[in-house]
Amino acid sequence: MVKLIGLVPLFPLIGFLINGFFGKKMSKGLSGAIASIAILASFIVSLLVFFDLLEHPDTTSHVVSIFSWINSDTLHIPFEFLVDHLSSLFLLIITGIGFLIHIYSIGYMHEDEGFSRFFTYLNLFVFFMLLLVLGNNYLIMFVGWEGVGLCSYLLIGFWFKNTAYNNAAKKAFIMNRIGDLGFLLGIILIFVTYGSISYGDVFGVARGANESTATAIALLLFIGAMGKSAQLPLYTWLPDAMAGPTPVSALIHAATMVTAGIYMVVRSNVFYIMSPAASEVVAVVGVATALFAATIGLFQNDIKKILAYSTVSQLGLMFMGLGAGAYSSSVFHVMTHAFFKALLFLGAGSVIHAMGGEQDIRRMGGLKKALPVTFMTMFLGTLAISGVFGFSGFFSKDEILAHTYEYSPVIWFFGSVTSLLTAFYMFRLMFLTFWGGFRGTHEQEHHLHESPKSMTFPLVVLAILSVVGGLIGLPEFWGAKNWIGEFLEPVATQPLNMLGHDQEIILMSIASVGAIVVIYFAYMVYRKNNVLPLEKESDMKPFQKLVYNKYYVDEVYDFLIRKPLDFISDILSRYVDKKMVDGVVNGVGTAVDGLSSVVRLLQTGNISFYILSMVVGIIAILFYTFIK
Amino acid sequence: MKGLFIISGLGILAMLAEIFKFKKILYPLVLVGILAAYAMTFVDWNPPTDHLSRLDELTASFSNMIRFDQVALAFSGVILVTAFFWFILASHYFENETNITDHFALVLFALVGALMLTSFSNMTTLFLGVEILSIPMYVLAASRKKDIASNEAGFKYLIMGSFASGFLLFGIALVYGATGTFDLGGISHYISNSHGDVPAFFYAGVIMMLIALCFKVSAAPFHFWAPDVYEGSPTVITALMSTVVKTAAFAALMRLFNVGFHHIGDVWGQIMAVVIGLSLVISNITAASQQSVKRMLAYSSISHAAFMLMGVLANKNGFDSISSILYYSLAYSVGSIASFTVLYNVSKDNNGHIEAFNGLSKRNPFLAVCMVVALLSLAGIPVTAGFFAKYFIFTTLIGTPYKWLLGVAVVTSAIGAYYYFKVLIAMYFKPAISTEPVKVEMSHTVLLIITTLFTLAIGIVPGYIIGIFK
Amino acid sequence: MLGYTITQWLFGILSFLAIMFALMVVFTRNPINSVLYLVLTFFCIAGHYLLLNAQFLAVVHIVVYAGAIMVLFLFVIMLMNLNQDTEPQKTVISKVVAAIAGGLLLFVMVGALRGSEQLQIKQYGHSDIGLVKNLGNVLFHDFLFPFEIASVLLLAAMVGAIMIGKKEIK
Repeated sequence: MVKLIGLVPLFPLIGFLINGFFGKKMSKGLSGAIASIAILASFIVSLLVFFDLLEHPDTTSHVVSIFSWINSDTLHIPFEFLVDHLSSLFLLIITGIGFLIHIYSIGYMHEDEGFSRFFTYLNLFVFFMLLLVLGNNYLIMFVGWEGVGLCSYLLIGFWFKNTAYNNAAKKAFIMNRIGDLGFLLGIILIFVTYGSISYGDVFGVARGANESTATAIALLLFIGAMGKSAQLPLYTWLPDAMAGPTPVSALIHAATMVTAGIYMVVRSNVFYIMSPAASEVVAVVGVATALFAATIGLFQNDIKKILAYSTVSQLGLMFMGLGAGAYSSSVFHVMTHAFFKALLFLGAGSVIHAMGGEQDIRRMGGLKKALPVTFMTMFLGTLAISGVFGFSGFFSKDEILAHTYEYSPVIWFFGSVTSLLTAFYMFRLMFLTFWGGFRGTHEQEHHLHESPKSMTFPLVVLAILSVVGGLIGLPEFWGAKNWIGEFLEPVATQPLNMLGHDQEIILMSIASVGAIVVIYFAYMVYRKNNVLPLEKESDMKPFQKLVYNKYYVDEVYDFLIRKPLDFISDILSRYVDKKMVDGVVNGVGTAVDGLSSVVRLLQTGNISFYILSMVVGIIAILFYTFIK
Repeated sequence: MKGLFIISGLGILAMLAEIFKFKKILYPLVLVGILAAYAMTFVDWNPPTDHLSRLDELTASFSNMIRFDQVALAFSGVILVTAFFWFILASHYFENETNITDHFALVLFALVGALMLTSFSNMTTLFLGVEILSIPMYVLAASRKKDIASNEAGFKYLIMGSFASGFLLFGIALVYGATGTFDLGGISHYISNSHGDVPAFFYAGVIMMLIALCFKVSAAPFHFWAPDVYEGSPTVITALMSTVVKTAAFAALMRLFNVGFHHIGDVWGQIMAVVIGLSLVISNITAASQQSVKRMLAYSSISHAAFMLMGVLANKNGFDSISSILYYSLAYSVGSIASFTVLYNVSKDNNGHIEAFNGLSKRNPFLAVCMVVALLSLAGIPVTAGFFAKYFIFTTLIGTPYKWLLGVAVVTSAIGAYYYFKVLIAMYFKPAISTEPVKVEMSHTVLLIITTLFTLAIGIVPGYIIGIFK
Repeated sequence: MLGYTITQWLFGILSFLAIMFALMVVFTRNPINSVLYLVLTFFCIAGHYLLLNAQFLAVVHIVVYAGAIMVLFLFVIMLMNLNQDTEPQKTVISKVVAAIAGGLLLFVMVGALRGSEQLQIKQYGHSDIGLVKNLGNVLFHDFLFPFEIASVLLLAAMVGAIMIGKKEIK
């Protein structure tokens, strides 16, 4: 069965090609169906592979060679896929949730003129994402990594008529390039150190290198992860990326692409185990991002922005777990997060759909009657993300926090605060959106309707998963089996939790009680007292204003990085290029005709300058070589 | 060797066409001739040599003046393929201009020079090759006689080019003075036998040749002519300059420095490293603010030159540097041909201002897609050939003292991605200036399909090119 | 005389003259005078060839450069009526910059070539290489390929010149 793994990325690729070439000529139904069926087929193959792995617990990884890729004197890189417990789990998440979101998109994008283009990009994205997790060496991962970045760029700017959206797309791309640079340097360093970039070769001998090299590699890879998974200081693109259609936000910017950084760190865990220093950096950056983004989430009014900051914050929690060495717990959280965050985004999409494009929660309210299915499913998702006892988010978050407590109580404390803040702003969103009276325009109220079946079906499925998804990782002290921990054992050995059972129960109780208290508080503020977010910025208190404006991080970046760069480019363009070079060209066009006058012009101005600059260069070179 | 003769013969044939009145069939004849010359590179393909500097009597011809070894043949192949593509691109150029046969002859003679540069093994053939390549290019740059910008381009190119040729000659003379030979193998032999006891003016000669060739490949600070000349020349001639001429100049640079001056790599290496760093920074930063796509491509060609120079700088034994430069030049040439074809079709009159690309995805989606692939390749995004081109260059540079250049290269190519994406954004995300679809003729469509598929194909399986010398 | 042979005296005088005339080429304002100084420079260089026992080269040098090419130059200058008045005036600053750059170039060149005077320059080949017979032997034997391919260069230059010069027929 494992041999068929090549089919998994092949189906989306075929879907991409068909939609790319013939999409315009096909009906919307057909084009959507082809794209969805391609992903479904991948999902089925992934499931078969997954069960195959389960049935043969003795062989934990399979390398499937597709073709010989690069052969040169010093470099031999085969195109190989690695099927093991980690990659098969990610395959299921990508294709499973990917399929549901494809179905949802058929309903959501129905009115859009770029329907087939949308599915083309979406299939291409899934293809690259699958490459990313399936590759057996860092180069294939990098190809996938860049590919998903490209698709994300295309999809954020999908509604390209809006300049703001284009800027968002550009921002995402540039931020990611900064991260990619770190990743690429990391790969190069791995190649220099170990002479290979295949996982098998590298991890086998990784321990041979000294700790400082491991630290360098780990940090460079982490810079890559910072970009893709939106961590401080490279996170600002993700909230802006919400410019894309909502299904894109759900698939790419919540469930799959942004978790690529987590996948990469887990895959390379050997470097992080070797380097406690790098792990510490990961943990600190993670928790800082988590807390930072959660506070911003408190005062946002755009329903998708709130979810975006929440995603940044949840990713921060995952990195915090990774830093603490809780690899399988973090993967567990990736999975549950994929369920409930995709659900919340799709739910938000359904709300936006019903509101005719309105995204501001100040204009909503009382929607639960009009959108019963959306309301119920989103409510379950909110319970899950808030970590209410028994829901999937509870178990995964609890596991991460338990490991973190052991690693450092200080980090645990901030992590716990983050998760309480999460409960608060998520319930704020729920209360303002679904309860109370309607605050939108009259037309909007008239227009309110539940979304079509194709959109509610994925919501229901994801809601079920959000509720029961935690069962695969029950805490051990319950006497139950932590299935996912054992399943990932061969890929990432996670230190055993040394906390006593009573300690663990105390931590768990703190979290549960805390969540309930915070939810009650949110209830008091937004339901009982009907407090509404302020309309005008000037009414806000200074701190509130600071947070509302996202700590002005964008403005600071703009000032520190973009302005100086623009300035340099502008100077070069204005003086070196425009004055010296263009000056002649323009002058020639207007002032002269006839070769002789060109000659005259050339002699007075520029060519002597060119030659002068060459001579100066020559002088410098000769001086450097012979006189010094 | 046979290829060189075929192309020379074609050049003369082109001139006869005027007299014997077979101008009509000249164009197909030239295409067939180039393909035949290309086929000859396969015929001549010989058993591998271990190392370039080992004298291989099998391939030496004419008292070792010229040597078509595998490396020479491989680069000739790249040049001939590019030239073939270019002739398809330039079909209109040969229809619209007067004196068609002269244009044909000049381009073919330039090709002769290019092939000599891939295969010289003597300083005299090097110099002749450089001149045979350059002189027709000066004239072609000025070939749109009514256009003042074109005249200016040709004139500037001539003056600056002569200046560089002077340095090349001066360098050759000094090197001859020290070594007493023009022969590449002889020079290499002289260096390894002298054990560092060589006169200072020998090094001066080497440096001057380096400067002259840096000019020819338009590396900073000797690049000033390139943007003007590229912008002023007719678009198709610019395409020729940035592909065939550049590849040939690199083949020459590589042969001279990695064979002749291989053993004194530390003398010229540092200078070359600084030249590369400068070129990368200047070209990428200036390109970012360009409004003309043609000029932007000129700056981008400076940056690509810097990348290829890195391969020369690595100066590795064995075939690692050579195959990485080969791959890079192929990827870059094909990508450039494709982007120039699109540029040619999109802006026939306004000299490549970026606004002409606005909304191209609506006006002609096919052109837009081809441009995307070409630009992604030039920017070095994976799955396209350009990514591996950069990747191989990087891997050859590892293990040399010039690793710091990798940092510069990675940062500047990130900036590079920005200006390539500016075109992309214009094509996909900006409203079109007119709704009228852009028409592309059949031959250009076929050319674009071939180059696009080629870019993707060698990006997906680079092994065939990179392992060619095995 | 002062321990120098007559050849060395001749070499010194010719070199001095060649450099002086070359400077005059640049410094003269009138283009026609410039060209005439260039002719004189070529004669000095032909003298050097003679000292090197290369009579054929010396003659060819005079015939081709001093004879053909310089006459062509003169024609062009006279036809275009270039003289002192039409020559564009250079600004002071460009003169200063040019002087500095030129001086520095001279400085580094001398630096680069320093130390080579004590060096024993080996005599390569035989000393009669400049005679017609020997030159012919080398040219048509060892250097056959460059000699022949130079024709392509000349042809290309010729075609180019004609193409640029020819009137556009529409």
